[in-house]
Amino acid sequence: MSSKLREASAGDSDECALDMSPMIDMVFLLLIFFVVNSSQAIVKQDSDVKPPIASYGKKQDDKNGRIVVNVYQDGSFKTERGLPLETDDDIFELVKKAKEENDLRSYKSKLHLRGDKNAVFKHSRKIIAISAKAGVDQVMFATYVTEK
Amino acid sequence: MARHRKYQEAEEGNPALDISSLIDVCFLLLIYFLVATTIQKKEVDVPLALPASAPTDSEMPDIDPLFIKVDANGAIYVGAGASQEMLDTDTSIRSLPLLSQRLNDYSVGANSGGKKALVQMWVDGGANQQRVIDVLNALVGAGISSVTFTDLVD
Repeated sequence: MSSKLREASAGDSDECALDMSPMIDMVFLLLIFFVVNSSQAIVKQDSDVKPPIASYGKKQDDKNGRIVVNVYQDGSFKTERGLPLETDDDIFELVKKAKEENDLRSYKSKLHLRGDKNAVFKHSRKIIAISAKAGVDQVMFATYVTEK
Repeated sequence: MARHRKYQEAEEGNPALDISSLIDVCFLLLIYFLVATTIQKKEVDVPLALPASAPTDSEMPDIDPLFIKVDANGAIYVGAGASQEMLDTDTSIRSLPLLSQRLNDYSVGANSGGKKALVQMWVDGGANQQRVIDVLNALVGAGISSVTFTDLVD
């Protein structure tokens, strides 16, 4: 090997390299933060419904068997997927069908009532009464623990 | 020089872990979480078990239920008939101190007699949802789980 060639190859090894380790550390830290902090949503939360505040509310831990009905401030109702429930029959059919599916899976059916805090109670009461007729007597009022 | 060249060759032949794919996976996961995460307040449950049907003789409660009335303005009353008493009227206060005190007294009295506290609620259709939840919240706080609505049918 000639001395010129040797010098050239020596120059290659002295190339400045980017130290990736702090970036990898940061990525891992961020990843761990998100993995630890993220929790799966129990039900889809419609942002148009502002739930009331209840300081003694219990953590939602069981997703199974929940039949979600959103009650809006204007008294309209929608399902978890955003389908409007226009008549009492629509509500009855929704609850009945969901209850039958839950029974097949051996889940206890629960009405998950996401009522807007500024709605009047008669709308929620209507949903509760129809659900009771359809055989669902367990009601879960969706609330926030604090205002903020 | 020959020796030095031999050493260099051995160094180059050392097995090295290629972590680039690991970094790729980490970035992908990180981007997934960044995109999928929405900062949303956690919702909690205020449970309520409705009476499935009228109680039979054997299921009749052995304690007089406490009647709670919530009127359209959000005022809260306890008791029925002539003994009805107006308690919390300020709808801006979530804690309902007077009702909570009454519920605690009732609950302690029922428990000391080995009975289960029972509450019957009547809510005006025009009452605010938040106000009803305030009452249910106070019931949960007092450890009362047997609650019935007397007015589910208009």
